[in-house]
Amino acid sequence: MLRKEQNDYLAQTGPGTPLGNLFRSYWMPALLADELPEADCPPVRVKLMSERLLAFRDSEGKLGLIDEFCAHRGVSLWFGRNEECGLRCPYHGWKFDVTGQCVDVPSEAVESGYAKKIKLKSYPLIEQGGILWTYMGPPEKQPPLPEFEFSTVPLNQTFTTKRLQECNWLQAMEGGIDSSHVSFLHRGDLSNDPLFQGAAGNKYNMQDFKPVFEVVPSDGGLLIGARRNAEDGQYYWRITPWVMPCYTGVPPRGDHPLHGHFWVPIDDENCWAWSYDYHPTRALTEKEVQAMKDGKGVHVKYVPGTYRPAANKENDYLMDRAAQKAGRTFSGIEGIGMQDASLQESMGPLCDRTKENLVSTDNGIIMARQRLLKAARELADKGTVPPGVNPEHHKVRQAALLLKHDVPFSDGAKEALKARKGVRQTTV
Amino acid sequence: MQSESARMTTAHEAGFRVQAPNSRPRAAKVIALDATAAALLEPISRATWHGAAFFTSMNFTALTTSGQPLDAWLKDVAGHTMNLMSEVAAADFVVVVAGAGEDARAVSVIADACRMHSKTLVGLIVPRADDSDEAITASLKELRPYAKMLVVANGADYIEAMLTALRA
Repeated sequence: MLRKEQNDYLAQTGPGTPLGNLFRSYWMPALLADELPEADCPPVRVKLMSERLLAFRDSEGKLGLIDEFCAHRGVSLWFGRNEECGLRCPYHGWKFDVTGQCVDVPSEAVESGYAKKIKLKSYPLIEQGGILWTYMGPPEKQPPLPEFEFSTVPLNQTFTTKRLQECNWLQAMEGGIDSSHVSFLHRGDLSNDPLFQGAAGNKYNMQDFKPVFEVVPSDGGLLIGARRNAEDGQYYWRITPWVMPCYTGVPPRGDHPLHGHFWVPIDDENCWAWSYDYHPTRALTEKEVQAMKDGKGVHVKYVPGTYRPAANKENDYLMDRAAQKAGRTFSGIEGIGMQDASLQESMGPLCDRTKENLVSTDNGIIMARQRLLKAARELADKGTVPPGVNPEHHKVRQAALLLKHDVPFSDGAKEALKARKGVRQTTV
Repeated sequence: MQSESARMTTAHEAGFRVQAPNSRPRAAKVIALDATAAALLEPISRATWHGAAFFTSMNFTALTTSGQPLDAWLKDVAGHTMNLMSEVAAADFVVVVAGAGEDARAVSVIADACRMHSKTLVGLIVPRADDSDEAITASLKELRPYAKMLVVANGADYIEAMLTALRA
């Protein structure tokens, strides 16, 4: 349960809000690199943290993320012509470069210097791991580039998608650290989904529906361990890392690629659910990539030409009551991503947490909220750099392993939880 | 025609949610397992709580030598002696709080009582800034067999945050 003011504090990420300032301390995924495939390609509208922006790649391939609207009369530069190292507004011909600097005002003499006095707000945009990342905070506090393993392995080892989720970022992200829902909502997918099936560890999930949880703070966020009974005095541990403010990893299954998410606010009622799959030591197989493109695992099928899932609120998520009744899916919705999204969107665009009734197994969620609140306050009061900004905090891995009963996962899985180049994931 | 899910998930529709309370306060019994934890709980116990009661377990050693958890006693913050079984029976859930590396053996007796009454036991380890990883590990090891949920808090304020979140 949160008081309304706490709920609003955590949910709102627009400019000037405490959580908005916190988010603006980090590099965030903004677009897929494929959205700006070549020099002078069409610009793309981007809304992030309640700011309307426009991304484009200029004639030299330089990336820009600028205020969407022309400084002259406020028309959307999405209609602009991307040509000769700038984006020209089709209304009166004003032109802007990738830094938002106005470089031409046709109605004014060049010698007047008028153009130099016009500059749109812009943010850095860099490409890494097939993703275009932006940093929307104060330039003097720009941190080093992100070093999440999924975006730093060779491109043939990683695959990332994004989907629109029509609810506040926090209720979406909380699903990523809520390990206790897996035994119910995703029950059917362990044996059916090509990106999960066949792992030796799956049997422990299916044998023990009452996992016991441990939550341990990490430098960048949290480690949430779920343990189930296994043979020979051992526990089967699945360990989920959360890196502040919105990165979550899903513990692996067998040699399947590792997957996880970024939950990035679009505005206070929508977010991007970024979903990645990668393997630390090998290229993804054609079969794996095809399964991801087909919407298996944590990915989804789309409404063609959009990033909106094909199963969405407009069609009741293609609810299949017969499949629900027959137990093929627990909720009647197909696919892990949409099983989560359908329920999280059903909470409403911004979940009212004054009415929720958490239980002890929700401690991961409780602690994540507390860490976010604390970090936002310390940033506001003392300028303290929040956890998760330091790229060292990104070098964490999800893990699944067997440990003797008396070994804490934070000790027994210490090495397994480190992202190390060329070292295979620890998995069962 | 717009689907029901689309119509029902708007901010406008959220305004029509039933406003009646959907739960009652939880009775949480929060028990300090050692002197460090007791010192942490003392100021927290002075706040207004709906259903949380705070205890120390310092009398356990003397009172459990018979091996009968039914004989175990707690001391509440006002210094009254309370029966462990009665307190656990009246609880919705039980939280044990331990300082890192402190003697937390009393947890086994509390866990027995929780088991007998089918109550969830939450273990909370609250390290000080200078506590070593080894001390935290030792506490985890001691509490793990008994707790349904085991948490290493990142500061004493987490106790309050957790109890509030759980409506205690």
